[in-house]
Amino acid sequence: MNILIMVIFVVLAAFTLAAGVMVVTVKNIIHAALWLIASFFSVAAMYLLMEAEFIAIVQVLVYVGAISILVLFAIMLTRHVTGEGVRQLYKRWWIALIVAAALFGVLIVPTVFNYEWAVQPSGAQISIASTVEIGTAFMREYLLPFEVASVLLLVALIGAIVIAFEERSTRRRVLTLAEEVEQRRQRNESLRLAPTTHASETSE
Amino acid sequence: MLQFLENIFGPSWIVSLIAFLISTTVILIVTPVTFMMMTWFERRIVARMQDRLGPNRVGPAGLLQAVADGVKMFTKENITPRAADKWVHLIAPLVATGPVIFLFAVIPWGYGLSPVDINVSVLFVIAVSSISAVGLMMGGWGSNNKFALLGAMRAVAQMVSYEIPAVIALLSMVLFTGTMNLNKYTELQGGLPILGNTLKDVIPDLGLGWFVFTPIGLVGFMIFFICILSEGERTPFDIPEADSEIVAGYMTEYSGMKFAVFYMGQFLFNYALSMVASIIFLGGWNFPGIPQLISIAPPIGALASAVVLGAKAWFLFFVMIWLRGAFPRLRMDQLMAFAWKFLLPLALINILSAALWLTIMLWCTGDCTQNPWVFTVGGINPLGWLGNSPVLRQLVGFVLTAIINAGAFFWLLNVNRRPAGETPADLARDQAFGTASLP
Amino acid sequence: MTVEFDRGKAYVVDRGQPKLRAGQGMIAGLDVVIRHFFSAFTKKLETPDETSGVFTVQYPEERLAMPEAFRNFPILLFDDTTGQELCTSCFQCERICPPQVIHMTQAVDPTTGKPVPAVAEFMIEYDACMSCGLCAEVCPFDAIKMDHDFELATDDRAGMTVRKADLDRPVSYYETIAPTRWAEVKDGAYKKLQGNIKRRSGSIGLSPRAATAPKKAAPAAAKPAAGVAKPVAVKTAMPMAAPGKNMSEEKLARLLSIRAANVAKAGGAAPAEAEEVLATADTDDVAEAPAAVAAARPVSSGGIPFSADNLLGGVPANTTMAEDKVERLKSIRSGNLARRG
Repeated sequence: MNILIMVIFVVLAAFTLAAGVMVVTVKNIIHAALWLIASFFSVAAMYLLMEAEFIAIVQVLVYVGAISILVLFAIMLTRHVTGEGVRQLYKRWWIALIVAAALFGVLIVPTVFNYEWAVQPSGAQISIASTVEIGTAFMREYLLPFEVASVLLLVALIGAIVIAFEERSTRRRVLTLAEEVEQRRQRNESLRLAPTTHASETSE
Repeated sequence: MLQFLENIFGPSWIVSLIAFLISTTVILIVTPVTFMMMTWFERRIVARMQDRLGPNRVGPAGLLQAVADGVKMFTKENITPRAADKWVHLIAPLVATGPVIFLFAVIPWGYGLSPVDINVSVLFVIAVSSISAVGLMMGGWGSNNKFALLGAMRAVAQMVSYEIPAVIALLSMVLFTGTMNLNKYTELQGGLPILGNTLKDVIPDLGLGWFVFTPIGLVGFMIFFICILSEGERTPFDIPEADSEIVAGYMTEYSGMKFAVFYMGQFLFNYALSMVASIIFLGGWNFPGIPQLISIAPPIGALASAVVLGAKAWFLFFVMIWLRGAFPRLRMDQLMAFAWKFLLPLALINILSAALWLTIMLWCTGDCTQNPWVFTVGGINPLGWLGNSPVLRQLVGFVLTAIINAGAFFWLLNVNRRPAGETPADLARDQAFGTASLP
Repeated sequence: MTVEFDRGKAYVVDRGQPKLRAGQGMIAGLDVVIRHFFSAFTKKLETPDETSGVFTVQYPEERLAMPEAFRNFPILLFDDTTGQELCTSCFQCERICPPQVIHMTQAVDPTTGKPVPAVAEFMIEYDACMSCGLCAEVCPFDAIKMDHDFELATDDRAGMTVRKADLDRPVSYYETIAPTRWAEVKDGAYKKLQGNIKRRSGSIGLSPRAATAPKKAAPAAAKPAAGVAKPVAVKTAMPMAAPGKNMSEEKLARLLSIRAANVAKAGGAAPAEAEEVLATADTDDVAEAPAAVAAARPVSSGGIPFSADNLLGGVPANTTMAEDKVERLKSIRSGNLARRG
């Protein structure tokens, strides 16, 4: 294999792993998010190293450009978690480690032992999924999953709009002092109470 | 050739390393110089628009003003607020500016002058330009300053909102041309306006088949240009650094070279997107005479093509300055309403008309029986009367898409207009309470 | 028109074009801007009522003519022909001066020991002067006027206390910078001066500047320069150059030598040069010109150094006070100084 590519791969892989470790160990949650972005980015660089341009770029577009911004916004809008006093390790951290390792093993063992790796003779042209191939695959072989996913996203979109939507007529706005006093006066009149002259005077 | 080089320099990875280093160096030299020229250009032009002269003391016609500014920036104290997050504060300008310089790696500067030729360069531009939002967020958060954080929030919200119409406008062009490679856009825009390359055998290549002359390209160009104004935080949309409201937005706590790097990122972003817009919509380096020059003398033609493309990009930058000289800043609600209620539907309709154009162009051309585009209704090909002549199909497509796009434009204007019976008092109240419906 | 609604008033500007469809207003704005852009390359704003063209005045090379009423720091006037100062040391200006920076000593006839209507020493602390112009307004003899020269920047603070020798300017100079204002008061001022000269004797009331020059000089030349009267004329020579134009040769030479010695006014030293620079320089590329002008400008030379010694013996040597009077004054001053600590 090309030495240059090998060197770049080792550097990128080391950076990805280091960034991943930083995500779970660093104390400040914003820093954790930033390290997460760094690891996303180096994963994209690895895709690029494999000459899968399209996937690399989509990785950047979706994870670095969109998801990370979402994460940052979510952290900043929930203010109480940004403090540095968040605990990182609990007493039984080793149980979590065992469970995580076991899950990883469940995933990796069948892949390694049961999959027949198609070893290409060196120098042979490796076909890489191009944009056109991915497009035709989406439109022919995987049309149903593709459509289901898009419908799901559409539902999420509409749901977000419905949650955020407020009828224009019932939309509240911040009242001015004069309007508030006027409202209170009207309420008092309707309740047949003595009008609070003090309040109405201040409004003038 | 490669073998020959290998014999001289050693293994091929050294050769490719050297080649990449050279092109990287060239980009890293050319872009800051472009940035310096842009600051000078903007200051001079906007000064003339305001009946002033602008900087004219340093060097001939003030050309070295940017150098003087650079010296000033370098010698300024590099302040980091005590409460700031030091590393995030330090890295933020790099994260914001680095991706912008990445962009220049895939943008062809002229005929055969693209540093890296990848197949999905349009997507690359979209993806990489969205990274700088992370840098802005880091800068705003790391400064530990409320103005900086507000500015960063505004900047990111604005970038995310305007990215959608920009991407859809570009996608309509991708659908229109069938390629995501910026290098191929120029070849497709030769020939005559509207007709493109179809009459190449009859009439010499004038290099005027720019997509901006087609209805789809025109609408796409308008949307894309407005979006790059917004993403580059140019004046009608410079809300994130509105100096009358929030001191300088996310750049509030930056000084010296860190500020300069942020500033450079912004200007280069404008320039890169101007170049992309000129390549995709304004015909790249096409201009009467350039195709012939390229075919006769490729090196000279490449140089001339770089000049033509640069001129187009600088013209777009001039338009940005012009807008800056003319228009005030929008409000946040106006900005968002404009993106979501006007630009986005228009872009969606534009993508539909691009699909229609494609249908008209491809439906049953050539051999009808083997073409995958064959689709008959009751045994009759509904577009069979168009025949195989691309010119007729192009003209029909032009008329149809023009009607659709113009109709959509005026319909959206009408939908977004203020209510008919609105009195000045209503308008004033709306503006006073910030509940106005649209700009 | 104003519109009232429940929160207050809104002012609606009528722009004369009631039916602007979507985007027309924006295009109109762009049109205005691009017109200004092109006119800025071809036109230069000449009068303030024009609305387009470059209005920048490239200061060291181009200068605006000062309005006559412009005031910077006060100066004293003396008559060109006789060399007699107009000041009678009536103390009006010293009294009215808000920051109290004007100080003067009345001249005394050496033979009779009686005060005469002339000033022996006059001192203005320019560094604390606030350019209010009250001294010039209150002066009944039109002897103190406000100068137009504003390029007095210096690093010599003591030099900002200016004495009579540096304050004196010929009437002809004032006539060039403010012709109509001088014409209004000219007759009265000269009449009063004639009355005062009769009561002066010897060199009392003679300006130290006039004394250095031959008396025969100067036919009251100063015909008011027409160009200066125009309130805003962009293309004018420097105001300091103006007196040179209207004076006879030797007078000009005298004035120039005095200026070179006393005050930093290099602009006057090279009126012809400056005009050449103006003529050749493009409005745009004048980068070299300021250097030339700056080189011609000498370093400001101060007046008399400011020290306790000077305060004590505050009376210059060439005054005409009686010896005993000087002694008395000195003792009073030193007493004052001691009292103040």
